[in-house]
Amino acid sequence: MEDLAQSAVNYSTSLGSTYAEARVQKDLGNSTVMKNGKPQFSGFLREAGIGIRLIINGSLGFASTNNLTQEGIKDTILSAASMARFAAASMKKPIKLSNLKINRAKWEVKQRHKFGSIDVEKKIKLLQNIDKLFRIKSDVKFPSRILSINENLREQIFLNSEGTYITSKVPRVSFLYFMTAYKPSKGTAQRFNKKAESSGWEAILSWDLTEFVSQEINVLASILTKAKRPPRDKTDVILGSEVTGIVCHESCGHPFEADRILGREAAAAGESFVNMKMLGKRIGSKTVNIIDDPTIPSSYGYYLYDDEGVQASRRELIKEGIINEFLHNRETSAELGIQSNGAARAISYDREPIIRMSNTYMDKGDYNQQELFKAISKGVYIKSFMEWNIDDRRYNQRYVGLEAYFIKNGEPKYLIRNPVIEMTTPSLFKSIDAVGKDISFSAATCGKGDPQQGVPVWTGGPDIRLRNVKIGEA
Amino acid sequence: MSENELSSLVVKEGKKGGAEDVAATCVTEDVKMIRFANNEITVSKAWLLSTINFMIVFKKRVAIASITDLSEGSIKKAVHSLLEIAKSTKPNREYERLPRGPFNYISNPTSESIQTSRLVEYTKDAINGALSIGAKRVAGTLLFNNINTKIETSTGASGYDIGSSLEISVRAFTNSEASGQANQCARRERDFFPSKAGQAAAEIAKEASNPVEGKPGKYNVILGPNVFANLINEVISATSAFNVDSGLSFLKGMLGKRVASSSLTLIDDGTITDGINSRAFDDEGVPTRRTEIIKDGILRSYLHNSSTAKKFKSSSTGNAGWIVPQPWNIIINKGHDDFQNLLSELDDGLYVTNNWYTRFQDYRAGDFSTVCRDGLFKIKKGKIDQSIKGLRISDNMPRMLRNIHLLSSKQNWIKWWEVETPTLTPHALIKNVNLTKSLM
Repeated sequence: MEDLAQSAVNYSTSLGSTYAEARVQKDLGNSTVMKNGKPQFSGFLREAGIGIRLIINGSLGFASTNNLTQEGIKDTILSAASMARFAAASMKKPIKLSNLKINRAKWEVKQRHKFGSIDVEKKIKLLQNIDKLFRIKSDVKFPSRILSINENLREQIFLNSEGTYITSKVPRVSFLYFMTAYKPSKGTAQRFNKKAESSGWEAILSWDLTEFVSQEINVLASILTKAKRPPRDKTDVILGSEVTGIVCHESCGHPFEADRILGREAAAAGESFVNMKMLGKRIGSKTVNIIDDPTIPSSYGYYLYDDEGVQASRRELIKEGIINEFLHNRETSAELGIQSNGAARAISYDREPIIRMSNTYMDKGDYNQQELFKAISKGVYIKSFMEWNIDDRRYNQRYVGLEAYFIKNGEPKYLIRNPVIEMTTPSLFKSIDAVGKDISFSAATCGKGDPQQGVPVWTGGPDIRLRNVKIGEA
Repeated sequence: MSENELSSLVVKEGKKGGAEDVAATCVTEDVKMIRFANNEITVSKAWLLSTINFMIVFKKRVAIASITDLSEGSIKKAVHSLLEIAKSTKPNREYERLPRGPFNYISNPTSESIQTSRLVEYTKDAINGALSIGAKRVAGTLLFNNINTKIETSTGASGYDIGSSLEISVRAFTNSEASGQANQCARRERDFFPSKAGQAAAEIAKEASNPVEGKPGKYNVILGPNVFANLINEVISATSAFNVDSGLSFLKGMLGKRVASSSLTLIDDGTITDGINSRAFDDEGVPTRRTEIIKDGILRSYLHNSSTAKKFKSSSTGNAGWIVPQPWNIIINKGHDDFQNLLSELDDGLYVTNNWYTRFQDYRAGDFSTVCRDGLFKIKKGKIDQSIKGLRISDNMPRMLRNIHLLSSKQNWIKWWEVETPTLTPHALIKNVNLTKSLM
């Protein structure tokens, strides 16, 4: 494999490329899916291929094939190089990459239970046991549910024409569930969620899924039967970790991606309301600190070197309410005359590395949960969500609460149904007055790029308190 | 080994191992893409990919695999591994045996090759088309696809399909808050006009200059082709029988009932000559067909593979997906009014040209929202009055379908980032649509 990667780089440079890199990647995946208590299928994915980037006459080309022969790789490179050369003729501004010190490294996520060591029977048994939990003694039924358990292993060799050489091995496991609670007089309520880590099967064991899903079932049944209408006037709001996480991801992580800011993703994923001149400007209250950190052990968005061979690092995107740092790859950092902070990721050998988040979260504050609630005489606690979206400049967002409570005199009193937060990003960050001490994370798949690349990420943070927020109702 | 030999090998090995059903598709893709932004090409991409996907069923135990190492040894090993998985899983009582072939497929080969220099020229045409109308910045994606698919099943289906297509999506900006998006897609190069996409995007961007904050409320709204195609993709997804059974559909229990105004007729067609996702057969080898999903507002059919058809006491619609039935090309029947007539119906309404990020709070109930994007206009007394911004459609899909008032007489093919299944769609005028915006 290393030989193929090296010869791909050599061939690219022989065609006149001033820079070339190759990623040879092997992806193994095993999945088991159950619908409404019936096993749908089990199966696997076995993929291997190569992705090559080259710069020729200042124009960027990307070539990919899974025909891992010298001829197959050369044909694909030739095709991309040819297009890049034609494109170069009309380019006014050649593409440059920021300097990168030569890295030679090997990194790996250790597994206690090796990939593939858990047989299908055991996985089906686990899903069947979870599915039995839906037979609760209640007038609420769960007529539709999908459960899925997945494990993946990604092995990669990265090398480039500058001498960087990185090998890596990352296992990931995930559990996905979608459930519908139904009561004839109340209609339906639904929950989609997943748990995921960069780990072997031991993560699945540590989640205690039967206990976890059991709680989720009871909560959804209660939402359907007990939840009342939310207040409609201005009120104080506590966002639970799950909602804090999606806010940090959508409203800080995405608009801080330098390729969006510079317009490269304008056609599809969009741009940003943030511009480069806003570095150092206030965007939130002093309590707001938002981090993107790929180096959190066992996190779903874990990596130690990005897919351009840059060493990963913790990025302080917002520091005490001030815009502090953007997410960069070697192309955007060159444009600004700085170093890349290692945010280039590709989901597969056949995708170009572009700027992505890893694990984006609000850093902890000083408050315990009781203190956060105590100062609220009347308010709303939104612990989880279903529907959400945000415009493509990342300015206007909407989160519709799922598990949510009315707070009175510092205590959650009763469930409320579908409270809506619909507000601008600066308003949201400026309304935060207190941040909890206890951070937790949720797993997600972040979409961006053309063709689409869904990358594994964590989103997270503690509970946070927002003052004087106008609540809507879905 | 040829694609024929590869899929035959999978079927032969699977049967030899005792499988009751085996289906294999070998897919070969020659794909080229040019992405552009700020009036310049940002990256040129080329792919040469081959994959074998196969399903093996052993006593109703279903196992599915996808591999890229197409050597004989690797394929044999993968088939045997999958057989072992199938044997150790539990039966799927809803599984129905693969349909018995052979089948006759209607040959519709529209495969063309294209010079890479031509792709660069098309990209420049799109950029220049937008700039000529007054755009300041232009971004987009040009895609050339050439896909060959070979299918073989243990029940006698055997077919080969080839097809190529060209797509371009262009987004033009007159400033950071004024943009328009348009696209072109075609099976044949002679039907592909990228400069028109550039011009159309720039026309919207020009009109969208200097937007003011929109006001939330209920409006009669014209949805442009991009928006209507995006929402109808969600409707079609809700007709996939797997989704109906999974709680992912607001159309459960609605067969034969009114689900939309009588203006709406929806068709899925895998055979249409100019549909860029047309294919002769589905993943079970069943010939694709034209299926009326909604006729004059009445739900006529879900999308089925053999197993979902058995469960719903119906027959396959040629839309397998081994697990989830999938649409091929969506056709929304046109109406009788031109766009100006639609506009003239609005005394105080909105025209939404594009949207993104459609998400559901409850798929079963159909409660959702989607964000208006690019040109968004207030209409007063039948004319565009003002460019506005900051609104999202926050409504209920069944209610919106019932409130479809008029469809335009002109249709456009739409496929882009937010419209996965190619969709031939008119403009739609929908009454009483709920629009919301940031409350602070």
